[in-house]
Amino acid sequence: MNDEELIARLSAQAEPVRRLGPPWQGALLWLGLAATLMAAAVAISGFRHDIAMRLGLMAEQVNLVLALATGILAAFAAFNLARPDGDNRWFYAPLLPALGWVAGMALGCLRDIWLGGFAGLGLGTSFDCARFILGFGIPLTLSMLWMVRHGALVRPVEVSAMAGLAAAAMASVGLTLFHHLDAAAMVLIWHGGSVLLVTWAAKSWGRRALQAMGPKLEELR
Amino acid sequence: MMVLPMTGCGMAAGTSPQGATENARDARDALWSGLMAASQDGDRRAYDRLLREILPQIRAVCRARLRQPSDVDDAVQDTLLSLHALRHTYDPTRPFRPWLNAIAERRAIDRLRKHGRTTARESNIEDLPDGAGATQAVGTSRLEAEELRRAVSELPESQRQALLLAKLQERPLREASEISGMSVGALKIATHRAVAALRAKLGGSRR
Repeated sequence: MNDEELIARLSAQAEPVRRLGPPWQGALLWLGLAATLMAAAVAISGFRHDIAMRLGLMAEQVNLVLALATGILAAFAAFNLARPDGDNRWFYAPLLPALGWVAGMALGCLRDIWLGGFAGLGLGTSFDCARFILGFGIPLTLSMLWMVRHGALVRPVEVSAMAGLAAAAMASVGLTLFHHLDAAAMVLIWHGGSVLLVTWAAKSWGRRALQAMGPKLEELR
Repeated sequence: MMVLPMTGCGMAAGTSPQGATENARDARDALWSGLMAASQDGDRRAYDRLLREILPQIRAVCRARLRQPSDVDDAVQDTLLSLHALRHTYDPTRPFRPWLNAIAERRAIDRLRKHGRTTARESNIEDLPDGAGATQAVGTSRLEAEELRRAVSELPESQRQALLLAKLQERPLREASEISGMSVGALKIATHRAVAALRAKLGGSRR
């Protein structure tokens, strides 16, 4: 088929389309969904018993704000990068708070070592954390991928990675509100590790998920 | 040549050749943006006109990335199809060309990656020496084998044995010497003579 024939065929198929709203609208809608889910999880499990004390701690406040900023900026980044004319620099926007978040947890580890030696790290297992972040993170990632499915033809890998990071960071914030986990090393390993796992999984398989949900060139041919 | 300093009452930016090009570009962008907005509302004539007008722009973006004309053609068509699938993502309040160029760039990069994957498994036939892929007719090679066999059978016994041990079975000279009972030196001479005799019979250039 030559270009003339293709143009004639596409013009004949040009039905009216509903314009997509601005990226911030989609991001806010998805963040609302994530917040509702986290609120439901807190409503079911209740806040952790020492929530007032924890929220009074500077380290905890910084940790929460940076995790939240990572989730919010990653969501905005995903919706912007899914647009053809989205600014590529959005990809770097959530990386700064994410690095700060990891650095804060690492500093907490050093403080614990300083105060109580390696025993002060309180290392152990917390599969509940991983289960929660994966259990909420993966469906939230898929819900965002569905909302930005047009990104399949634009920047599928970047959009998927941002969707995974946003979902996992929001799940981690929710978890902090009701799950009792104090040791910085445990938070770093189980929260940080699970967030990394969801982001990596999204980056690795998101392209296929987006291509399954989004427009396919083969079908248009 | 004299260069006149620009003064406040001199040439306005919009009337310089560069400014004129910018203005024309802006006007074209505004036109395409309007046509796209109309296309989103279902105006097929506007869409047809838009696709025809932007074709050279798409081709230029793809040509900047791809060398093979066939790849450029494929990337151009992939861009048209992508644009069709993504036309709801265009915001008419924003410039049109960055949106279009980003789609064309993506499809050209996809084509480049696909091309890279293919060339990693294949060799470009144009890069190979002439006749590299050619196969000889079976009948011809059979005739040549028969000719060679006859030429070998006509060699003296010592030369035939030296050729068999040293060249065909590729045995070390010492081992070939033990089997044949000939000295290493005699074996070398017999092999050399056998090869020379065969070359003379079958044609000088063949090895």
